[in-house]
Amino acid sequence: MSSPTERGLSALPEAKVATTKALTKPLRPSTFLLRNAGKTVPLVSVIVLAVLLITGIVSLLNSIPLSIRTIYSYSKEGLGVTPRGDTSLTPKIVQEIKDNSPVPIERTMICRASSAMVRSIVGKWPFIVIGLTDADMRYYLRRQGASSISGRLPAPGAAEAIVSEPVARNLGLKLGSSLLGPNNTDNYSPHEVKVVGIANTDRWLMLNPIEYQRANHFPPVDFAMVFAKNATDQDTLDRWAEKRFKGRHAQVFAYHMLDKETNQGFSTLYRILDVVIATLVLVITLMMGMLINIYQSQRLVEFGLLQAIGHTRKWLIGRVISESALFVVSGWLLGVLIASGFLVLVKQALMDPNAWALNTFDTRAMLYTLPAPLSIFGVAVLTVFWRFRRFDPVGVVERRLI
Amino acid sequence: MIESCAASLVYSDHGREVFACRAISIDVRDGEFLGILGPSGSGKSSLLYLLSGLKQPSSGCIRYRGQDLASLSDEERSNMRLREFGFVFQQAFLLGYLSALENVLAANPTNGNIATLQNPNTVTPDSAAALLATLGLGEKLHRRPHELSGGERQRVCVARALFGSPNAIFADEPTASLDHKNGEAVVRLLNQHRGKGSLIMVTHDETMLDEADRIVRLVDGQIV
Repeated sequence: MSSPTERGLSALPEAKVATTKALTKPLRPSTFLLRNAGKTVPLVSVIVLAVLLITGIVSLLNSIPLSIRTIYSYSKEGLGVTPRGDTSLTPKIVQEIKDNSPVPIERTMICRASSAMVRSIVGKWPFIVIGLTDADMRYYLRRQGASSISGRLPAPGAAEAIVSEPVARNLGLKLGSSLLGPNNTDNYSPHEVKVVGIANTDRWLMLNPIEYQRANHFPPVDFAMVFAKNATDQDTLDRWAEKRFKGRHAQVFAYHMLDKETNQGFSTLYRILDVVIATLVLVITLMMGMLINIYQSQRLVEFGLLQAIGHTRKWLIGRVISESALFVVSGWLLGVLIASGFLVLVKQALMDPNAWALNTFDTRAMLYTLPAPLSIFGVAVLTVFWRFRRFDPVGVVERRLI
Repeated sequence: MIESCAASLVYSDHGREVFACRAISIDVRDGEFLGILGPSGSGKSSLLYLLSGLKQPSSGCIRYRGQDLASLSDEERSNMRLREFGFVFQQAFLLGYLSALENVLAANPTNGNIATLQNPNTVTPDSAAALLATLGLGEKLHRRPHELSGGERQRVCVARALFGSPNAIFADEPTASLDHKNGEAVVRLLNQHRGKGSLIMVTHDETMLDEADRIVRLVDGQIV
């Protein structure tokens, strides 16, 4: 077989015409997609909307456990232990921990506490106002990463409190605002407790003098806080204490327990979410499958012609699969981009003013979006192979199939 | 160049065997203009598809330059059609989203891989444009098919068939959807610009074969 170069196209005039607008490879996948916006836009839009919907649902749902972990993250810094049944046990518990701890103890504190409420995206959640001595309060704030304080620390015994910046934002508090009061059902105290300081830290904190707590709040139970030297040691201490005091007259509060309970509590919800997302993906895939099938039917002439003039079946299948991959990937990327923009907007407009947590680039939410484009691509590939299974280009050029 | 040895093509019609071509033996010589004439349903298009490798004979064989096409894989036959043959069909099949020039380039015998050619200049946009200009479409290179008349569309198909200087051009009633004047023009252009390539044209209109070197007549799938 001789090559085309040997066969005399050189006989044609060397007309140099404007060919810049033409594509050297007009059959590349992007050309069809870009020049058939009427077909491409609906396909890409469905994927974008699916990604937006799934990302929105999952990210907002994830914001609930994220909020729990954020609001109560102060417990990462210290182990809390309360006595049960006998209020006099607290010093003994502290001594037992000091004597048997697997890691060095940096500091122990005896505290008092009363309850308060903070606002979350799903309603009010309980919070703790910790009563500390002045020295303990300074240590505790430093330990929670407070770089500075607006205002001052509460005076010992005074009806005053210091809160952290997220708490101030969440409850709309400023210096001089009332944190607790006799007329406040959620955040009750027999006296008006004013905010005299706002600590600059991401941790959620409400602190007031231990003397005020002892004089005004019930129940009269001291609890202990025990601090290890660093985060690793703290976690070791927390896990040790959980085992040590299990089934005894003491209750342990530690971050890893909160984390575990949160995971367990939300596991059912995530299973339901899996079913909802799977149903959504199925519906979208069926709809897209029908759409892709219709569009491919409309391209029978193109497939028949190209195969008749000599483009191989393998090349044609590869081309159509590349087109599918291109619109699926484009739709997914665009969807992720739009979803991230949407979540940034939601965070700025709705979440941040209330100090509510929202991850605008939530990996878990992004993973949830993958089944939709993958199954759409799978259906597209199956449709292509089904279409070309017994495709006869002669049927097209003879006009039997069109 | 192309040889048909007692080639038959049998269709099954509800369990009944129908002979589209019956033991046809014919040679197509290098550079020859071969006309295949016959009434509707005589099997002339089927013969064209057999000779071009688009269909496989039920019995007998088709050889291109001595090679039995049945010995080639589907992919090898496709590659042979793309590199060695040009096609013009009854209907001016063009891709609507491509310009006239791009439609011609779609038949690039290298499938865009110009590295496989010794002289890539023969299949460049410039050479395709030159071909279209020669066929009187120099001003309409960037027009889409819906912006062209029926005759112009068929001329784009002719340019596509000629692109890459194929060894053989197969034309299946290329004038059927055109008026007589445009039909004659298309045949004339095909004949003038085929260079050293053979032209095998199927038609039921004998007046379109005035310039043919040889005419074979088909009736009921047999040469008469």
